[in-house]
Amino acid sequence: MTRFGPLLSARGLRREYGTGLGLVRAVNGVDLDVAAGETVAVMGPSGCGKSSLLHLLGGLERLSAGELRLADQRMDAMSEKSLAQLRRTAIGFVFQAFHLVEELTAAENVELPALLAGRSPRAARERASELLERVGLSDRASHLPSALSGGQRQRVAIARALSNEPELVLADEPTGNLDTAATVDVLRLLDGLRSSGQTFVIVTHDERIAATADRLISMRDGVFVEETRLTHGTSSGLGELAGLER
Amino acid sequence: MSAPSELTDRESSPTYELGVVQEVLLALLSAEVSYGYQLRARLQLALGPLGDSLNGGQVYVTLGRLEKTGLVSAQRVEQSERPDRKVYTLTETGRVRVSEWLSDTSWPKPAPAEFHLKLVAAAAAGLADPVRLVDAQRHALLAALASTQRAALAEQDESVAGLLLEGVVLRLQADLRWLEGCARFWGLKGGQR
Amino acid sequence: MTIGRVFLVWRLAQADLRRHPVEAALLLLAITAATATLALGLALHGVTSSPYQRTRAATAGPDVVAGLLNLAPPPKNQEAAVGPGNANRTASGQGAAVEPRQGGETIFGHGYAPSKTRTADLNALAHAPGVIGHSGPYPVAWATLRVHGLTADVAAEGRDPSSSSVDQPKLTQGSWVASGEAVVEQSYADALGVHVGDQITLNGHRFRVAGLAVTAAVPAYPNTEAAFGTAPFPDPGLIWLTRQDAQRIATPALPLSYILNLKLRNPAAAGAFVEARSSLPLSLISSQTILQQDAKLVTVEQRALSIGSWLLGLLAVASVAVLVGGRMAEQARRIGLLKAVGATPMLVAAILLVEDLALALLAAAAGLAIGWLAAPLLTSPSAGLIGSAGAPSVTPTTIGLVAAVAVGVAIVATLLPSLRASRISTVRALADAARSPRRSKRWIALSSRLPVPLLLGVRLAARRPRRAILSGFSIAITVTTIVALITVHAQEMHERVAGFSAIDNPRTDRINHVLLVLSVVLVVLAATNAIFITWSTAIDARHQLTVARALGATPRQISAGLSAAQLISALPGAIIGLPVGIALVSALTHDGPTTIPAPWALTAVLLGTLITIAALTTIPARLEALRPAAEILQAEFA
Repeated sequence: MTRFGPLLSARGLRREYGTGLGLVRAVNGVDLDVAAGETVAVMGPSGCGKSSLLHLLGGLERLSAGELRLADQRMDAMSEKSLAQLRRTAIGFVFQAFHLVEELTAAENVELPALLAGRSPRAARERASELLERVGLSDRASHLPSALSGGQRQRVAIARALSNEPELVLADEPTGNLDTAATVDVLRLLDGLRSSGQTFVIVTHDERIAATADRLISMRDGVFVEETRLTHGTSSGLGELAGLER
Repeated sequence: MSAPSELTDRESSPTYELGVVQEVLLALLSAEVSYGYQLRARLQLALGPLGDSLNGGQVYVTLGRLEKTGLVSAQRVEQSERPDRKVYTLTETGRVRVSEWLSDTSWPKPAPAEFHLKLVAAAAAGLADPVRLVDAQRHALLAALASTQRAALAEQDESVAGLLLEGVVLRLQADLRWLEGCARFWGLKGGQR
Repeated sequence: MTIGRVFLVWRLAQADLRRHPVEAALLLLAITAATATLALGLALHGVTSSPYQRTRAATAGPDVVAGLLNLAPPPKNQEAAVGPGNANRTASGQGAAVEPRQGGETIFGHGYAPSKTRTADLNALAHAPGVIGHSGPYPVAWATLRVHGLTADVAAEGRDPSSSSVDQPKLTQGSWVASGEAVVEQSYADALGVHVGDQITLNGHRFRVAGLAVTAAVPAYPNTEAAFGTAPFPDPGLIWLTRQDAQRIATPALPLSYILNLKLRNPAAAGAFVEARSSLPLSLISSQTILQQDAKLVTVEQRALSIGSWLLGLLAVASVAVLVGGRMAEQARRIGLLKAVGATPMLVAAILLVEDLALALLAAAAGLAIGWLAAPLLTSPSAGLIGSAGAPSVTPTTIGLVAAVAVGVAIVATLLPSLRASRISTVRALADAARSPRRSKRWIALSSRLPVPLLLGVRLAARRPRRAILSGFSIAITVTTIVALITVHAQEMHERVAGFSAIDNPRTDRINHVLLVLSVVLVVLAATNAIFITWSTAIDARHQLTVARALGATPRQISAGLSAAQLISALPGAIIGLPVGIALVSALTHDGPTTIPAPWALTAVLLGTLITIAALTTIPARLEALRPAAEILQAEFA
């Protein structure tokens, strides 16, 4: 899909809580453009506002100020209902805490967005199987979340996020609750998805996850402070990094 | 029988040479002119226990070298009951050198001492916000990590080379963790000021 | 336990209650409803016997009343006299076979002369062994009463202006009989709406109502006929006139009957006295039987009330169960937290117990107060007897029982979570914030075929089956009572149409009244229940619903889903309530076949209930759907 202009475009995003002395500016003037097929990672210490930013981008929270456009639609001016529809069709979420429904099996969890979008149970189930295979968990389709490891649960959540072929996937600390091995699993999955053209905005403090991005942005105190392109680096310095003397 | 113990003393307390001593001294001088002993004291403070084993003479030797290459200028100060001291000032060339050093983000080996001193000097001399320096360095390392990780992922699961690359990634990750800590520390210090 | 400990427990309990004031208030309400009905039911127990005794004492009530009906089959040259409103009975009285006119003196007009033998029998009774006093025989004229546009049937007893030694009716208002002036029996006057000073006509003769009085000699309206064994027409009321007036108004078709009041040396032997003379062509009734008749009135009511109190009790238990269930989920986590900071399981249980006991005792006190205040509303009745059942005995037993029930509920509410808490480890208690929801593959699969709100609704209901059942149960009870009420109405309408009585039969009136009060209370309780269940479902399912919202469910779909969950459990309950309500009424009033209300009325109740539930649940549902999602997603760690 060719697109003129960025898929996601944010200008002057602000999110404030409280009033007067208790005023907290979680997001304090953020501009961001994300092109289709790009993966952007946002890093920062806790409390820097990166999670709030993600919620704003996904329409889970209302902007205090600023403009937000997704595929040329003004998100900040939409009603709750339209935002919900947007989340159903164009935006997928992956959370740190997975947020799977505990009494549904992996397959039932993955088919949920499709059912909410009104697809037939059969179509939803087929799509779910397809996705579970893609994330490498087809043998676990009828397991409950409690029977899955952390990494497996997150992969189910990622499959769920992809259910309605969203234009944009927002991930909030996807490996926050995972150990090293599970992190590597998710890492591979994200890398694979990225190379197949999925647009991601990932908020993380895990350097390895951030390193899969095309662009890395550092955030502090509600604003962006630094930005780097990561994709174009070469492996030239690899020898030195490994300790080989020049 | 003191000779053998002397020898032993010397062997058991190896001294370190800091390749970066030049730039640190220049940076420290950029704020104010100083005596050699003052600079040495600042260095030792910044290095803590590591500073104890800093070769005492190295500071003076380096200062001499810097004077020769024109990065600092020295002035003799006469003292009444003591040998003469020199007071050092940063030259323009020296200033340029300092600014180059600050913005250099190469990271050839795990080198916490050097970067640590860079932050100390920058903060002490008011040359730059240490937090911004950390950010810049982090991004550079992350880029390095990214390319290493890509190479690692491209390897087969159990390949030998993959193991090496994994090692590099993990060390970089460790460095990055430390850098995060630096940012926190210097961020707080900045807030206190 | 040291004082310090006790104080600590008290402080913690208070703090805890204050943190969840709404829940505490709802629990209080539910237990209060249960205790109030219990108190009401108990207070009404044996309510009539006291007033009756008081009336007996005040009016020098008789131990035995003998009645001589004196009505014979009509002679061939006269048609059977049919009293107005008396569609089914003829003038031939039952029992006493009286000889037709024997040419003796006619007292008034063309009537039948009282047979001398019968009157002699009556007189002989006055001097029977064991009888120490008597009054009468008094003539009783059967008359048609017209007042305020109403027509009714009465027994008009002729009396002396002076006091009798046995059974002198006590005036509650006005003055005693005089020529042209009548005194109406209190309960009958209430039913008719007659007051002192009103003009009435009896068999065409005009009288002024001089006063109202009560007596212990005949049962209160509408059971008055029992004193005569039978009457020319059903449910006659009682009026007193002077002897002359009574004799004056008697018609040829319905000649005078006679009534004699006896006082026995041994009042307790009244039953035996009556038994011994059962062969006589007289009808005798003992004071004990009269009491029973009166009690019958209240019994029906009491039965209505006790069934009603069972219903309320069940509903209260259901609400309490829901509340307790909701609290238990919270409790388990609170217990975990308390244990984690070092409180022993005993201390924790103590805190919970104190909280619940405090609420329960408060509820018991409130319930007793309500019961005490409300009882008179339902039992003004035997208004025919002196003193309204007034301060329905709030006896120590009542207090004890009510308190015991309330405390019992409290203990059960505390015991279960404490037991669970002591069994599971602290870590699990903290992690397991609530019981795990039930997984039902069938319902999940079924719901996927449904539109989104129903999908959510079915899944919400299926994950907590116990709650769904409780919800349905409480709706069933509410619908049962409402249907009972309309069935009673339908019955009454039917009776009016058939012409059984032109005036409100107080008995049906009272049942109506009782059912109305019960319905109102039940509806209020059920409504609170519905709101609370929705709210606790919303809280319990908050995570799942928020995930649904993140995945694209609109706020309307969420709130519709929550309402749907309630409706799904309410529907079977409402449907069951319909037949049960009708059955309940026929159990309460076995006066022949029960009239079944019109289908449209039943449908209206069903739909009305469902619509009301949908409306009631909208508010908490909407509130829940509009909560900021991000907050919940961040707070919750699955």
